[in-house]
Amino acid sequence: MDYKYPEGSIVALLNTDLVTDITKKVLIERGQEKDYQPLFFTLPDFECLTVVCDCLMAQNSNNRMVTMAHAIDTRLNCKTGNGWRYNNMPPDDEMYREGLKGINKTANLLYNKKFIDLPKNHQLEVLGAVQKGLGDGFEWDQLQQQQFFEEMLAEVTEVFFSHPLVQDEMGYAGMADAKGWEKIRLNEREEREPIGIKIETRN
Amino acid sequence: MRTYKNDEIIDAVVIGTGAGGAPLLARLAKAGLKVVALEAGKNWSPKIDFATDEREQNKLFWNFERLSGGGDPIGFGKNNSGIGVGGSTLHYTAYTPRPQPHSFKLYSYFGVGNNWPIGYTDLEPYFEELEQFLGISGPSPYPWGPARKKGYPLPPLPLNGPAQLMQRGCNKMGIKTSPAANAALSADYFQEQIGWRKACTNRGFCQAGCSTGAKASMDVTYIPYAIYYGAEVRAECMATAFEKNSEGKITGVVYKKYGNEERQLCRNVFICAGAIETPRLLLMNNLANSSGQVGKNFLAHVGLQVWGEFDENVRPYKGIPGGLISEDMVLPTDVNFSSGYLIQSIGVMPVTYATQLARAGKIWGEELRKKMRSFNQVAGINMHGECLSSEKNYLELSDEEDEMGLPKPRILFTAGDNEKKMSDHGEKVMRQIWKEAGAKNLLSYHRKAHTLGTCRMGNNREEAVVNKDGNSYDVPNLFICDGSVFATSLSVNPALTIMALSLRTADLFLQKKQTGAHS
Repeated sequence: MDYKYPEGSIVALLNTDLVTDITKKVLIERGQEKDYQPLFFTLPDFECLTVVCDCLMAQNSNNRMVTMAHAIDTRLNCKTGNGWRYNNMPPDDEMYREGLKGINKTANLLYNKKFIDLPKNHQLEVLGAVQKGLGDGFEWDQLQQQQFFEEMLAEVTEVFFSHPLVQDEMGYAGMADAKGWEKIRLNEREEREPIGIKIETRN
Repeated sequence: MRTYKNDEIIDAVVIGTGAGGAPLLARLAKAGLKVVALEAGKNWSPKIDFATDEREQNKLFWNFERLSGGGDPIGFGKNNSGIGVGGSTLHYTAYTPRPQPHSFKLYSYFGVGNNWPIGYTDLEPYFEELEQFLGISGPSPYPWGPARKKGYPLPPLPLNGPAQLMQRGCNKMGIKTSPAANAALSADYFQEQIGWRKACTNRGFCQAGCSTGAKASMDVTYIPYAIYYGAEVRAECMATAFEKNSEGKITGVVYKKYGNEERQLCRNVFICAGAIETPRLLLMNNLANSSGQVGKNFLAHVGLQVWGEFDENVRPYKGIPGGLISEDMVLPTDVNFSSGYLIQSIGVMPVTYATQLARAGKIWGEELRKKMRSFNQVAGINMHGECLSSEKNYLELSDEEDEMGLPKPRILFTAGDNEKKMSDHGEKVMRQIWKEAGAKNLLSYHRKAHTLGTCRMGNNREEAVVNKDGNSYDVPNLFICDGSVFATSLSVNPALTIMALSLRTADLFLQKKQTGAHS
């Protein structure tokens, strides 16, 4: 099943007293895309990661909603983490550097091009191979590619789905809770919660 | 807040301010003892500091890196580890079921695992005290377990969409359900020395921090209570080492505050830092480990979750996440595993759900976007099952240093045969419940919940780190109280039991102090 929500209904809530001050501050700031120069990645790596992120979140690179690579670059530059990593994986900074090398190598072996120069369908093919552990290239002898894919996907997912424009697309109104919720049972809705239109799909 | 000087010999230093540390801190302070709590994290003002936003609230998790290995590596950080005044209760879901009596005597019942050196009756008065003090909302009488002397002080919180759906599925299958016991207020509640706490507003964000004070995290209950009675709580102070005298007693606790090393003199120490940080601190200092059991027997509950999409609008971000419970499987018959599990409905926040689709469902790209556009139709059920201790599951110190310059812990975990069989059973039951309730597109998320068991209590000093009073076998003025002392995992969410142990540890200490057995 798929749903479509009226565009802008969630973003419009952010400036109201239905959202607490701190929540407002966090979400409005996050919604403002700024010019960004990478602090951790080299420029080619940063550009590659940006396009990888677009593929992972099915985002049009010419009309981006969120640039996930900003958040990843900032985090790696500050050396903060999420509290754990797989014992058989290198530290996050090394993992990203080596993983991007691996993605470019797999792209090169398949199509003799850098990842960012491939058409979208080939980019998806390369990433699909890495997810399944089938990416070619000696770089993957050193780095467990399936776990790299999972770790990167989890981080990108967190950044993407916490963006107000994406939450708008989902019709997610949870942030507008300054007055709490009274209508919490099945099919109950408060006025500020948008109504989604169901779109029938084959699956 | 009363404060103490580092060179004043105080009665006790308590390391950690979560469910293990805060209740005993309050108990000792009320008895007139001079006590200081050291907390590695910050002291938050939830109304001002806590946003209704998961990513912003990552500040509530223990984000210093741990290494996770074994056949079934455990996720740490937001999955199970908190930091800040209040510890992991800042992000607990507020589930507070009591364990059932047989869970303490697993070996006697099933011939597997261990027996605790104490039983249900030792903790029963503390369960009752906690339920009344914290203002727990729940059904009275409670449908499972021994009859209770007192009911819950407040009626259950209202059922949200996921709870109603689980109720529907279970009714069709003949599984008994009940509104769950939760440590969040269904009505305004007066607390001694604290004042009125306001009723829950159904924000549904318990796991990312309660901004209203309705959830009974330690920062709005036992911590202010302890401070009222003269305890000092030092935030952003990370305990790293101990000073000892020639008799092997601890005389001071060394800690880092904003990068500087300080030392608090004391007569007694209570380590309440959780089942990862407590053994790490002991191993770093080669302390209290003559048994060789520090870090061993790491336990993590079987915590499989099943998600489904419904035609009804669920909007799963509203209401207490764990509204409905069934304990019918806590002691099941005709099964191929020992012990059992409970099941709970679960509401969810969007980023948590999206990350599970990504990790467990391996979903990305357009498919993930589409799944997330159906987020308002989603509901979950969660199982919570016994984990048996195993030699394969333990914590050790690695060669890598963390941001503090301390060795990162490495935790190895592989689910055993009993956990796998129990998880399979639970998955089958929960998927059936969801099908009966009308769910489509089911997704199972294999998850392990909670950190327990790494400094277990026991009657034999060769097999346990602490005795039944929580007192170290090796260091007479050292006590441990948190999830690490669990001798078995118990098949319930652990916070209420940890708090009960905390009050009991304090009471036994105070009794012995009166007789002169403790200084």
